[in-house]
Amino acid sequence: MSILLNKDTKVMVQGITGRTGRVQTMWMLEYGTNIVAGCTPGKGGQEVEGVPVYDTIAECVEKRGAEASLFFVPPPAFKQAAYETIDAGIKLIVVVTEHLPVHDVMEIKEYAHDKDVQLIGPTTPGVITVGEAKMGIMPGNMFNPGRIGIISRSGTLSYETSINLATGGYGQSTVVGIGADPVVFTSLPELLKMYEEDNDTDLVVIVGEVGGIQEEKAAEYIDRWMTKPVVAYIAGLNTPEGKKMGHAGAIIQGDGKGTPQSKIAALREVGVDIAKYPAGVVDLVRQHLG
Amino acid sequence: MKLFEYEGAELFRLEGISVPHSSVVSTPQEAKEKASKIGLPVVIKAQVLTGGRYLAGGVRTAETLDEVEQVTSHILGSRIKDMPVEKVLITGKLDVEKEYYLAITVDSYRGTPVAIVSSSGGVGVNQAANEKPASVVTRPISMINGFSLQQARKICREVGIKGKEAASVAEVLYSLYNVFRDYDALLVEINPLVRTRSGKFMAVDSKIELDDSGLYRHPDLGFDKNSRIYNKLERKSKDVGVTYVELDGDIAIIASGAGLGMASMDIINKDMNAANFLETGGGITEELLYNVMDLVLSKEGIKAILINVYGGINPIHEGAKGVVRYMRDHNITMPVVAKALGNRQEETWEIFKSQGVHVGDGVSTESAVELLAKVLKETK
Repeated sequence: MSILLNKDTKVMVQGITGRTGRVQTMWMLEYGTNIVAGCTPGKGGQEVEGVPVYDTIAECVEKRGAEASLFFVPPPAFKQAAYETIDAGIKLIVVVTEHLPVHDVMEIKEYAHDKDVQLIGPTTPGVITVGEAKMGIMPGNMFNPGRIGIISRSGTLSYETSINLATGGYGQSTVVGIGADPVVFTSLPELLKMYEEDNDTDLVVIVGEVGGIQEEKAAEYIDRWMTKPVVAYIAGLNTPEGKKMGHAGAIIQGDGKGTPQSKIAALREVGVDIAKYPAGVVDLVRQHLG
Repeated sequence: MKLFEYEGAELFRLEGISVPHSSVVSTPQEAKEKASKIGLPVVIKAQVLTGGRYLAGGVRTAETLDEVEQVTSHILGSRIKDMPVEKVLITGKLDVEKEYYLAITVDSYRGTPVAIVSSSGGVGVNQAANEKPASVVTRPISMINGFSLQQARKICREVGIKGKEAASVAEVLYSLYNVFRDYDALLVEINPLVRTRSGKFMAVDSKIELDDSGLYRHPDLGFDKNSRIYNKLERKSKDVGVTYVELDGDIAIIASGAGLGMASMDIINKDMNAANFLETGGGITEELLYNVMDLVLSKEGIKAILINVYGGINPIHEGAKGVVRYMRDHNITMPVVAKALGNRQEETWEIFKSQGVHVGDGVSTESAVELLAKVLKETK
């Protein structure tokens, strides 16, 4: 099934009656996503694009069998919505919302870990299992079915990498936006593990960027556990120190941590080929897969 | 958002952490008045949003009022790590017996707060951490269970602080966590926490960074975020509603995502020089891109513009309308190259082309930058 999501996954959308929720629900249905319900407190009984809307998440689970939930919930409502969703028994939550307070993210990360719930994001374009289903805001026409997994810290670069791969005749199994915040719910190594175990993926592309230590931790994981080839591109070679490059997590701190050089060195050290520019990924993939 | 030392000290005071008697001033005259009230000698400290001010000469002791005036006027005219010093803090000089380092920060990778305590604070704390790792203890804190005074005491004992002393330092650490939680902080640091000869514990410095995404919960603080941005164009970008970082080249970048913006910057810098990093995030409208064009062209000497956008959450056809309207209104004739893919891409291309924006047929950013270089060469 590739990872996280497939055409049978029963998806619900939180914040479905908002402007973004409506438009994106339309695109997701068009892509083939099995959206069974939507939830907006106080809007129960309505329909969006033919999808029934409920007041509570529990109703979406009980009446429609929802298993996975996509969040278009505004920051002030996030924490409560996340608790309610986890308690309702949803096992996969994709959080598109940007600008969530880091404290709320840390609290929900801890709670979800205790309850064994997988969250992706925040500030993610979402997850797409190509040709089957998408939970998120990515444009479906950038992706082609294939056997390459992509994990990207940037939404736009996950699209760019996918469309670049198409020019080389390659497609993707599942593409995951890990999220662009300093604290993310699911780490790069956790996603690598899923791809390593996935029968539909032959190779993984990491699209990293400045800031944090996700790529360095990925290198440790690759060294110990990965048998499948991994290639990478790290964005932000020329980032000035102390400047947030759009993403809250994309910053080189004064202590010199989070530089692209440190990430590239760590990944190279464990045998990961690095593309200097995004389209270079295609040549690296060709070297591995022919 | 980083806070100035005097702002951080105020938050400490509100949570019951003792801070030295002090006044913040912005003229040498004021400095003299306050120093005579506080009592000589005093310490004069530059208020800047960066570390390393001690080594940069931004912290000085003054024994006389004349010296206070002299030192203050010197520090106020200086820049530290390219930031202008607009205010100084005047504090009484303490009789220090012992220094500690206390901090609560976010372990981003693990996604949890951590408490850090060192039994040797002050300027040399980093050195101590390297030479005597046992003198620094870092412990995770549960967001759900919270942080107790008992846990704080345990950490203090682990770092070798004994008896009553441990209880006193633990109380400060516990209060420091409350500052962290109450104000959505990413970092709260006391370096040093001192014990004076009279046995009082005082936070002699404060370093606080608040989470920008949490600021909406603290309107009462009244801190102006934009006034802390010293670059004029970067400040303007906040009003426009995008992220802009000024660079020293002449090719402007407009990207619809941060990663795409960084990649564009990397590729342009291969053979040309990027004038800026700019990303719109998911809020593209016709008006936004009209204003974004104005923003990137506010920098002098721009030779060409690269527009790099994806239609995922963004209605890029709307954005394209803003770009071409700006070009018409301001008679822009310099090369503008656009790569626009995703939902409604064909419609977007037509709008761009209607005003002479070059739209390449490649899908990679590399191909768009190549096109830009070619057009630039032809127009020369």
